[in-house]
Amino acid sequence: MSVRDRARSALERLVAASAAERALISLASLVLAVAIGTIIILVGGRMTTCGEAAFVLTHPRPFGFPQLFRMGFCYDPVLVFDRLFIGALGDPLKRGWGPLSPFTGGAINPFRAGYDPLNAQMANTLKETTILVFTGLSVALAFRAGIFNIGSQGQMIVGGLATAVSVLWASSLVSGLAGTLVLVPFGLLVGALFGGLYGAVPGALKAYADANEVITTIMLNFVATGVVLYLVRDVFKDPDSFANQTVPLPEYALFPALVFPDPSGFSIVALAFAAGCILALYYLLTRTAFGYDIRTSGIQPEAAEFGGVDAKRTIVASMSLSGALAGIGGAVYVLMVLGNYQTGVPAYGFDGITVAILAGNNPLGVGFAAFLFGVLKSGTIVVQFSTDVPPQLVGVLRGLIILFVAMPEFFRLIGRRVLPAEPDRPGGTAVATDGGHDRDGPPPGDGTTTPRDSAAAGGEHR
Amino acid sequence: MSTPAVELREITKRFPGVVANDDVDLTVDRGSVHALLGENGAGKTTLMNVLYGLYEPTAGTVVVDGEERSFDSPRDAIDVGVGMIHQHFMLVDPMTVTENITLGNEPRRQSGLARLTGLSVDRGRAREDVVELSERYGFDVDPDARIEDVSVGVQQRVEILKALYRGADVLILDEPTAVLTPQEVGDLFAVFDELTAQGKTIIFITHKLGEAMTAADEITVLRDGKNVGTVDASATTREELAELMVGREVLLDVERPPTDFGEEVLAVDDLVVTDDRNVRAVEDLSLSVREGEIFGVAGVDGNGQSELVEAITGLQTPDSGTITLEGRDLTDRSRRQRIEAGMSYVPEDRQEQGLVMDYDLVENGLLGSQHQAPFARNGRIDWGEARDHAESVIGEYDVRPPDADTEAESLSGGNQQKFVVGREFERDPTLLVAAHPTRGVDVGSIEFIHERLLELRSQGVAILLVSSKLEEVQALSDRLAVIYEGSFVDTVDPDEVTEEELGLLMAGERPESADENGAPEATAVTDDDVTVEAADAEAADPEAADAEAADAESGGDGE
Repeated sequence: MSVRDRARSALERLVAASAAERALISLASLVLAVAIGTIIILVGGRMTTCGEAAFVLTHPRPFGFPQLFRMGFCYDPVLVFDRLFIGALGDPLKRGWGPLSPFTGGAINPFRAGYDPLNAQMANTLKETTILVFTGLSVALAFRAGIFNIGSQGQMIVGGLATAVSVLWASSLVSGLAGTLVLVPFGLLVGALFGGLYGAVPGALKAYADANEVITTIMLNFVATGVVLYLVRDVFKDPDSFANQTVPLPEYALFPALVFPDPSGFSIVALAFAAGCILALYYLLTRTAFGYDIRTSGIQPEAAEFGGVDAKRTIVASMSLSGALAGIGGAVYVLMVLGNYQTGVPAYGFDGITVAILAGNNPLGVGFAAFLFGVLKSGTIVVQFSTDVPPQLVGVLRGLIILFVAMPEFFRLIGRRVLPAEPDRPGGTAVATDGGHDRDGPPPGDGTTTPRDSAAAGGEHR
Repeated sequence: MSTPAVELREITKRFPGVVANDDVDLTVDRGSVHALLGENGAGKTTLMNVLYGLYEPTAGTVVVDGEERSFDSPRDAIDVGVGMIHQHFMLVDPMTVTENITLGNEPRRQSGLARLTGLSVDRGRAREDVVELSERYGFDVDPDARIEDVSVGVQQRVEILKALYRGADVLILDEPTAVLTPQEVGDLFAVFDELTAQGKTIIFITHKLGEAMTAADEITVLRDGKNVGTVDASATTREELAELMVGREVLLDVERPPTDFGEEVLAVDDLVVTDDRNVRAVEDLSLSVREGEIFGVAGVDGNGQSELVEAITGLQTPDSGTITLEGRDLTDRSRRQRIEAGMSYVPEDRQEQGLVMDYDLVENGLLGSQHQAPFARNGRIDWGEARDHAESVIGEYDVRPPDADTEAESLSGGNQQKFVVGREFERDPTLLVAAHPTRGVDVGSIEFIHERLLELRSQGVAILLVSSKLEEVQALSDRLAVIYEGSFVDTVDPDEVTEEELGLLMAGERPESADENGAPEATAVTDDDVTVEAADAEAADPEAADAEAADAESGGDGE
């Protein structure tokens, strides 16, 4: 069996994998990533110099058996991964996470002893997850429409600032519980509106001026950062603060902290809202005519136009919706995490791209991908200050895990492209290569093959 | 008796879930033309890909020149003299004929310095080789022309030369006539004769009965991956072949019952369309189709048919002119509004436009009606309804496999086309625009699609039929217009015109010059002055011609 055949049959198995198998494959990839990460940590630890070895590799010495080798490493891989997951999910053996936790008891704990899932580390993970769900959905929706929205970051900060300023203005009108009930939805709405408008700009540019959205959205990110910096520094600045930030919003205008300990900057209400958005988007894409239009123009624009989809309107509409989701992300960041608006928002928008790709642009997958990201984000922070491992190496471990979890799906994607070219389509000249150096598309002759077919066929024989 | 050039013994090729070739034997004599005939998905191309080394057979042996061979790749096949010309050419457009032919096998210069510097391609010798080769086989090919500047027929000859240059003795051609005009097909068959006269062996794949009978010495028919018989081309009939292909008797002639035409449904007036390259593709064209009428448009591909059809269906914006459906001016209406107004469209390119390849048939059945009841209410899609619809199309139009959950991509070309045709026919249209509705479809399905077209006609649907198959438009149309470079050369009565006359019209010969042949009795339907005027204007500067043509224009092919 040649290498090509073996690769092909492996791809076939991967494409045919069931949902449960795919979940197992993902889990196995995670384990493999950890194993390879361990090797990298050991190698890294061997190449560094340190006073005392954090990890020593030797063999058991029963009955005074002489020691044959002993090797010290500066970093302990067990400790690193231990801290990574404990840092993200909380210590399974302790209530709360102890010394590093800002939370020291006092919360409601339904478990008598042992693991407390409502710990501060978990709250931090879920906080990251919540924001990433919105930016991930934003990018995923645009992707489904065939648009690469790199501007989620810009749309998010525009939405965030608009939310902060408008809620600040409106908070003088209502207060108390009624204030929360009115101001939070109001803030989200404003965030969605401004994010959506800011997303509509590159959408309209693409639809009506044929401007590439990758370039316009990247540039609009810079515009957003610059304009927001100017506004926060010179117009909406808190006069009592040295930092570039607005006046703090009143407590009643923010997401209420329920269930989880208070100072974590996480609200389960926001997470529930994010889950609602996931379901709503899933419904939109799979059950509505508008979602059908979006999906069709995303995978085959010509067929969409044939089916009566107005390409320009769909581009603008999906970019607006994508921007609105990023804007909501900004609003949640302000109303849940910050409590005011500060410049220097972390790159949630860009992480959203990875989240969306990891999720295969499926809204339901975005939830899981965002959670994985949340785990890695909050876990690595703990690794950084509880071990000597340098942040760069921690970044490598994080990237490794994401890469490994994403790879099986990536190969499935390749497999689906490559495999259907062969079977049961002899009439369609499925394989249109003489040895596979076909690089130009087929002539618009009789339409029995798509450019993709021949490209895929070419790829498989290369 | 000499050893056969190629012998395939008990070839079986399995793909996951599919047996593409089942125990196929094939013997091809040296110096003969052998046609491989079969419906879409019968396993013709797979069998040839086995012979060409693209696929390894699951079982069976390949014998070339009396010796058993096993090919790992097409290169091995070429080495023993088996060359294949695919349906879609593998040529580099900006490169010259010579460069394309010698690509990968360029003659090398022998001098030391050139070899060291890598500039060792001997262009002079390459050109000489190509000239010598094309003279030997009587090919009329300019070795210095660039591929993008030559016609499809010439490109095909370049492909053949490329195979010959690499030393092919056995030439496999996959559906070689699919992209050619009737004249070019004749030229190709002359090339076949020349090649076999010089000892080459030709195997060509086709699903057209007529071609197999004209060009081949022997015909092997494949059905469902099995060899169902090899017959002598001179001793067989179309009926016999059709029956072998389909497995039952096939009605080859279409019976077009007379009907009364009703009101005018579609009126196109003075339509001008420019294509993506800013060339005028449709020039001041007018036509009208009435209820219960099939209006045929014949012509060689690329004479403005696609642009005409897309302008009518709302996929391209015309520069000027009007499109009226049942008295409503639809010129500025969107594609969706046109669908809702009762316009059905079987597109030319089913894999780009007619189907979303990654969607299953349920989702594909919805394409075009996703905003309409009963499939959508208040923007919400009723997937149950969509599934029922897809299943009824699948059942009624015999789409195989009969499974609504199949992705469009995994259907064979013919079944894809049947599904598209079914979906569009079942829309309950007032106007049906059908562009090449039977392209790439096998005999049995052609018969069925023709029957359904005539059924729609008898229900009073107005039908605009565009096809490059002469016998199809001729048999189905009530009126037949011939399009050449964007305007109608003539509109004829399909029952009176001969295929030769149509061929001349398709090549742009005006009816005036065809006078001696006695053609024009049948041409009274068009206002000839108008089309001639438009064609003259087209020859001049297009910008200036715009106004002139508009002035000169009076009416279309009047009713």
